[in-house]
Amino acid sequence: MKTQEASFRILRFNPEKDEKSHHETYRVKIDSRMTILDALEDIKHAQDAALTFRRSCRSGICGSCAMRINGFAKLACKTRVLDEVERHGEVLVEPMENMPVIRDLVADMNPFWSEIDRGSPWLEWDTNLEGSIKENLITDQQQQVSAKLADCIMCGCCFSDCVSRVFDKNFTGPASLAKVQRFVADSRDKVGVKRVPSLVEMGLWSCTHCYFCWSQCPRDVRPVTAISALRALSFRAGDRSHGARHVDAFMSSIERTGMLNEAMLYLKTMGWTTVRDLDLILKMMVKGKAPSPFLKPIPKIDEIRSIVKEGRWGKK
Amino acid sequence: MRFAYYPGCVAKSTATELYDSTALVAQKLGIELVELTAASCCGAGVINEGEPYWNFALNARTFAMAEDVGLDILTICSTCQGVMSQAKWQLDSDPKIMEKTNETLAKIGMKYQGKVRIKHLQWVLTQDYGLGKLKEQVVKPLKGFKIAPFYGCYLLRPAEALQFESHEKPASMEQLISVLGGEPVDYEGKTKCCGFPILFVQRGTAFEMAATYLNNAKKANADFMITSCPLCHISLDLYQKKAVNQMRFDIDLPVMHMSQMVGYALGLPPQELGFSKHMVSTAKVLHGS
Repeated sequence: MKTQEASFRILRFNPEKDEKSHHETYRVKIDSRMTILDALEDIKHAQDAALTFRRSCRSGICGSCAMRINGFAKLACKTRVLDEVERHGEVLVEPMENMPVIRDLVADMNPFWSEIDRGSPWLEWDTNLEGSIKENLITDQQQQVSAKLADCIMCGCCFSDCVSRVFDKNFTGPASLAKVQRFVADSRDKVGVKRVPSLVEMGLWSCTHCYFCWSQCPRDVRPVTAISALRALSFRAGDRSHGARHVDAFMSSIERTGMLNEAMLYLKTMGWTTVRDLDLILKMMVKGKAPSPFLKPIPKIDEIRSIVKEGRWGKK
Repeated sequence: MRFAYYPGCVAKSTATELYDSTALVAQKLGIELVELTAASCCGAGVINEGEPYWNFALNARTFAMAEDVGLDILTICSTCQGVMSQAKWQLDSDPKIMEKTNETLAKIGMKYQGKVRIKHLQWVLTQDYGLGKLKEQVVKPLKGFKIAPFYGCYLLRPAEALQFESHEKPASMEQLISVLGGEPVDYEGKTKCCGFPILFVQRGTAFEMAATYLNNAKKANADFMITSCPLCHISLDLYQKKAVNQMRFDIDLPVMHMSQMVGYALGLPPQELGFSKHMVSTAKVLHGS
């Protein structure tokens, strides 16, 4: 098999002697099958025994070897060195973000676990259900609803690369909300949808849809879609927070005009807090940039109204 | 080259300069835009958080309209592109969603067949029209300009749905900047979120996001930033002053729509490209005044 040399730039930090982290470079002989984890093991055995990282199963199941590879959180055991070299020219390896570093590539995952706990991610079973003392039965169809979400291996990749979490430490993060949705969608859970109202406090509406959680998840859990599903449930349960008002204003604008009435969307969502932007609104008017609150419906608006009426399939 | 043109809502209200500059660029390059005037809003990833199936039905209706005229769709808003690409990807891959959606469309005499393709202007210029051909049209090269590309989210992720370029190392914006004679600058945050989706919900956080990436671009010596999304433009230009004030950064970085940058390099009159509608003046960098 053809081999070549690859350059690994690894972020090092030893709390016993380093004040801050620094990069160190290693050259590693690689072949086309080699994973980042294989290379790290090589470095540890042949070049630097002090290099510290987590790993266990080596096959993408345990989630231990999550780290940032060329700036993106991934499992080292699932990532081919050659793919990284071809895309980025080198391999930059750093610990996950949004968590403190313990040593080298080992991140302290306590913030992640605290957020997971915040969502009470365990089954609250209904002891009144027939047969529930012995077993909780579920049909295949019911199981499919939460199966994808149950694939999460708690590696922390989504939490690491979550843009909202960088700026908002109250945002519980993608994995935590996906875990909640896993139990909301589980027919055996007696709390079910009643789990939703407490989520607003956990930052349900703080997700920006940056889709990093979808892209970086090694199990294709797509937490952002779980967050959208939870928002829809919260909205229907009478949530009147800014996020839910934004959805409401959006929907009524489409029902009325087929388009987004930006001015009305803004006013309805922001309410009295609009005053904070009066200066901006004035400037927009001067520049001929302020959208009119009187928006004409699109041609064939009846079709939209028909769809909107027909489309309420999810309505209970 | 003809497309079913889907400008989206914001290019027709807050960001008319995007609509106008696109029309001029398309005309100059001979790209014919047949506007889908009866198309609705794409839902912007918001309506599915109220009623998930509106998302499919409304977008499938737009797709069916384009299929009726036998043209692929051209978008000029990353958010429209992302939302529509995702809707199409789900419709095309899930027969249950497709069937249910077409049942709804049948009631208004329409059917989505799964044939239409949806492309952002950025992709059309780099791929369909072609960078080589575009280079030949440049009359006012962006020589000496250091330009910060801002990709944002929806044009890159999820890659499975968008099927265009890697979100880890995208290149289309840099390629465009380069063929127009400019110098692309790299900085941390070009593929992150501009903050707009939570501007009405978590204003302080949204400002922090925008200001951080603007500041990073400025530190990389960018003369201006470009975006292919009018929502990013709201966050990065319209609210720039408020955002950087909150973070106590002393910067003003002009932010152009990608179409304006292309139009400028093609020699179209700057006053017609709508630069006067920006909050952060582009005059200083474009005319040195």
